[in-house]
Amino acid sequence: MNCLQAEEHFSAHFEDALDYQTLQAFEAHLAACEGCRHEHALFQESVIAAQQLPQIGTSPYFMPALQQRLAEEQPERLSFWRQLIQVVNRPRWAFSGMMLLIFAAASIYFYHRDIVDWNARPTAIRDTQTSQQEGQVTRPLRTGLSAVPTLNNSRQFSPGSSMSSQPMQQHYVLKTVSYASTPTRGGL
Amino acid sequence: MSELDDELMQRFQKGDEGAFTLLVRRHQQPLINFIARFINDRDSAEDLAQETFIRMFKAAHRYQPGRARFNTWMYHIASNLCKNELRNRGRRDRYRVENVVSNGRDADGDTEQVDLIASAPADASFQPDVQLERKELRKAVQKAIAELPEEYRLPLVLRDIQGLSYDEISKVLELRSGTTKSRINRARLMLKDKLKSFMEPL
Repeated sequence: MNCLQAEEHFSAHFEDALDYQTLQAFEAHLAACEGCRHEHALFQESVIAAQQLPQIGTSPYFMPALQQRLAEEQPERLSFWRQLIQVVNRPRWAFSGMMLLIFAAASIYFYHRDIVDWNARPTAIRDTQTSQQEGQVTRPLRTGLSAVPTLNNSRQFSPGSSMSSQPMQQHYVLKTVSYASTPTRGGL
Repeated sequence: MSELDDELMQRFQKGDEGAFTLLVRRHQQPLINFIARFINDRDSAEDLAQETFIRMFKAAHRYQPGRARFNTWMYHIASNLCKNELRNRGRRDRYRVENVVSNGRDADGDTEQVDLIASAPADASFQPDVQLERKELRKAVQKAIAELPEEYRLPLVLRDIQGLSYDEISKVLELRSGTTKSRINRARLMLKDKLKSFMEPL
């Protein structure tokens, strides 16, 4: 360690922040160099003198004058967008918002994928499934083959083809409804 | 201390103005001390401290507990105001002010008793020479600090007079940690050189 390098470590040495190896080299240099020893002593004295400067007190007029000025001032109000940005900027809110967005995007993706899957099935299979379900009270479910809509107004999809080029096919299921066994209790 | 400051700021943000008064009472003395040591003018220090608190009052909604410490924010505002003040003084060509305040305080604002004759009988360990030396040393140190370049004086005051950590100083001055450390070391070396003539005969 030379004198310039030693001088760079004066503060770290004063604050006891040198690692062991640097400390050894620093102290070895000080032991060998009288000039640095002298400068180091002056350095320590001057830092201690600065640290021991007395605190400057507050005048008795400070607080009343400040309170008078504060009474005339109003805290600034944030606009709606700045408030929103501030909320989003908070780490936990930002994280929650991000997760919510990811969840929403994933839901939309799977929802549309299921519709495309259903519409991409061959018409014959769908008709068979529809006829098997005929006469039952059906509930339109989007997934699985067990349920079919009673009124199927669909277009045939195939990858790569545009929707407008395909003819629209409509499937109607007519039900016969009898009211013979329905009690009317004296009414019609 | 930091948690209490955060709590008080949150109360103030919810409308409790008494919380802000409490914050002012807690921080007024260190803030005035910092400004006075930095700009070397006690009278202007109070005006700048008032301005600092007014700005904090107006911008309180921007403070987010946990993201920054209250005192870091306060020193950041104060140091910017001080820099502006020094710049304006430079323009007006009246940078240094060495005034003796009429109520007995020195130019450096010491509130310590300096009336040597009055204090002599009451203090058993009273040594006039030592008292004078100390007073002279304080003046020399304050003068040396005031003569440092601004970019070195500010971190030195924050570190050695206000006692902030290196991390806090880096946040106040928006500097990298390494830059802060090297500036403080450089400032101390400059201070040592300026005080050399005063200290060497000792």
